[in-house]
This record gives sequence, C-alpha cells and structure tokens, in this order.
Amino acid sequence: MEEETYLELYLDQRAAQDDLIRPRSPLPSSIVPFDVFMPNSSTPETAFSSLLEEVEEASGDFSSVDLSFLSDELTQENKDPAVARSKREIEESCKTPRQPLPSEQDAGPDLNSRLSNSHSHLHPGDADSVQPSLEKSTFLPLASITPMTPMTSVSECSGTVPQLQNVVSTANLACKLDLKKIALQARNAEYNPKRFAAVIMRIREPRTTALIFSSGKIVCTGARSEEQSRLAARKFARVIQKLGFPARFLDFKIQNLVGSCDVRFPIRLEGLVLTHQQFCSYEPELFPGLIYRMVNPRVVLLIFVSGKVVLTGAKERSEIYEAFKNIYPILKNFEKA
Amino acid sequence: MAYQLYRNTTLGNSLQESLDELIQRSSLRGCVTFTFSQSQQITPQLALQVLLQFDKAINSALAQRVRNRVNFRGSLNTYRFCDNVWTFVLNDVEFREVTELIKVDKVKIVACDGKNTGSNTTE
Repeated sequence: MEEETYLELYLDQRAAQDDLIRPRSPLPSSIVPFDVFMPNSSTPETAFSSLLEEVEEASGDFSSVDLSFLSDELTQENKDPAVARSKREIEESCKTPRQPLPSEQDAGPDLNSRLSNSHSHLHPGDADSVQPSLEKSTFLPLASITPMTPMTSVSECSGTVPQLQNVVSTANLACKLDLKKIALQARNAEYNPKRFAAVIMRIREPRTTALIFSSGKIVCTGARSEEQSRLAARKFARVIQKLGFPARFLDFKIQNLVGSCDVRFPIRLEGLVLTHQQFCSYEPELFPGLIYRMVNPRVVLLIFVSGKVVLTGAKERSEIYEAFKNIYPILKNFEKA
Repeated sequence: MAYQLYRNTTLGNSLQESLDELIQRSSLRGCVTFTFSQSQQITPQLALQVLLQFDKAINSALAQRVRNRVNFRGSLNTYRFCDNVWTFVLNDVEFREVTELIKVDKVKIVACDGKNTGSNTTE
C-alpha cells in the first residue's frame, strides 16, 4: 500500500498550496478536445480523476514539489534544483500519468494499449528504475479509473522539454543616477542620449546586457535562466554601487521567458490555421512561422514547418512547460506525412 | 571646428611642447642673450591659434592625403561610447598592412564620428 501513502502525501501537498489550485476547467479553451478522451462513467471515478486533473493542472510551481518518493537517481540533481525538478516532473508525468496508473492493468483494452505505447515511449535508464517500484503496488480502489492525465494521453507526450533561451527581468536600484558619469567611468557602457535615454551596459558572466535608466530602474536581458538573470541584475547593481551611487536591489521581477524546442516532425501549418483560426495567425509571405496565441497559459508560440517551436511571453518557467504540453498533441495531429 | 582629437598624438604633443617652450622663453625675456635668435612674443593666445590651425591641417591631411589601408584584429577588452566618442581597449592586436605586420599587447583606440570616411587615431 505504499502507493496509496505516496499519492495521499502528494495530494496533501497539492491541497495545501491553495494558490496553485486554480478553478478547474474541463479543458483549456484553446485546446480542441482530443480524440483520446477519458471515459468518465461512474461518479466516484469522475470525482477522483477530476481531482487528479486539478492536481495535474495545479502543479504549476514545480520548485515546491517534493519528489523524494522517487528513486535516488532521479532526485540527484547537478543543476538548478528547481529547474531539474520541474523538468523531471514534466517527464515523469509524461511517462507515468500518476502513480496508480501502471497498476490498472485490467482497466480495459484501450488503456492497456495506451500504457504499452507509453512504456515504449519511455526514456531508457531513469524511468525504468521508477516503473518497477510503482508497478508493484496493488492499490486499486477504483479499478476502472480513467487515465489521470487531463486531455492528453501518455502516448502523446513528447520526449523533449523546452529549453530556456532568454530571460528578461527588471529591478529597481532606488536612487537617481547620473548616466553621463556612469558612461564615462564604467567599462563596457554605451550612452547616446540623442538616440536612447539609457546606458547600455554589458557584463561577461553571466553574459547579459542591461539598460540602465536615470530613474534607477534597470532592465536585464540575455540570461539563460531565472537565477542567472537575478545574479546578473545584482552584478549590474554592484557596478553602479561601486561608482558611488547608493544603489539598492529592490523589486526584482522576471518579465519574460523565452523557450524553444523541437517536436522532431514536420508540421502542416495550413491545417493548423484552418482548425484553430481564433488562435493562429499565419502569413507565410510575411513570416514563415505560425503565431499561436495560447489563452491558457497566456503564451505565444511560433511554430515552424520544420517542427521547431519558440515559446515566449511567459512569466514563469511552468507556463512555458505547460504551453508546450498543451500544444504538442495539437501539433502531433498536424504532423506531415 | 575640426576635432581636437589629434592633439594627443606624437606630432600634436611635440607641437604643444614646443609652443609651451616658446611661451616660457618669451616670458623669461630679460636676459640680453636671448633677444636676437629666439622667439619674439609668443603669447598663449598665439599658441592657441597655432594649435587650432594644427587641428585643421591634420584633419584635412588625414582625410585627403592618406590613402593606405591598415587592417587590425584583436580581442576586445573594454568599450565605451559617450559624447559620440568611442573608446576601445583591445588586447593582442595585429596591425596588418600589405607591407608589414605589427603585434601589440594592448591598444587604446579613441574614435570620433567621421564625415565621409572614418577618422580614427590610435594611441
């Protein structure tokens, strides 16, 4: 009965974070109901699966997810823990919708086939160590439970996770600045007040560019992660401080995240724009990419024929991941040939 | 008004030092020995005029009379742009002309906006 305890623990954590549990909508409005649907036959199943859907949707802030129930190799990170954890979360949710699913072997033929599809999709190595431990449980109060991934079946998950390419952030140094003095004394600074009323300064590590305004506000661009962006903004503040200004570091906020990934198959953009016209704009003569404005989360995706996708407009990393998760089945539907 | 950019060059500095010397000598005049061969009245105002003429002359000479081309390549250490003046510091620079090659550890480049062609000076 270990699975039950783990699941309860996980659900308790989810429930405790009230702000994460958004009012649940059966489907995000931007997603066309996918062919593979959940047979919501009986009420308890529906309630349970709906709760888990909520959990799935509510797991936006991955940094607070406690993944200690996973085996060690998955919890060992060598990178930014929140990042890796959230990535793991995505990949885990792709491979095993939620823990009890693998044990529902008798839930019906199509579930079984989907499961076997999902298993064949799995990444070697990491997931395999998790699968056996999950499959051995006999937890099955709702024997014919529907798959717990909302709208998307496991087999529709991509293996890739979007990579962050750019982070734009702002901060307030809370003091008026003499831009001419900064431009004359600081290294790697440009100041052309006729063209733009800010000093453009660059640092090498992390490789970033900052726009520094006389009000004391700065915009920091070019970092590859949220933490790097924060570090870079702090470094710029320190440069200003060393020049003699009483700079502080207030109101740091990530304003935009840009990510990119590859679905690894070509896409029929014309088909996509025909079915999703309220979200898409596609002018091949103007720009070769289709611009998909997803409503929930509010993210803009540039989708190209090659299968490359650029996601932007997110304020949180989870929004990028969620947007890609939402778009993947749609793109799969419009795979070329 | 031509750029006073070239005053801090070998040529410009020599001129400035000479003018300063002349000003010093003319103010020291009291010794009889100096009255014949040396300068008459070099006033600081006159020295300023000389420098202004130097600015005009050097700017036009570099713009009109210099035709050769030098390429240089190095790694950028720092850059600055303020008051429409670029200041670069490069490291491990190779100045390459058809005829010869010069290697330098550090070079500071101060550059002002050109009219037609770029006007640069290296120090």
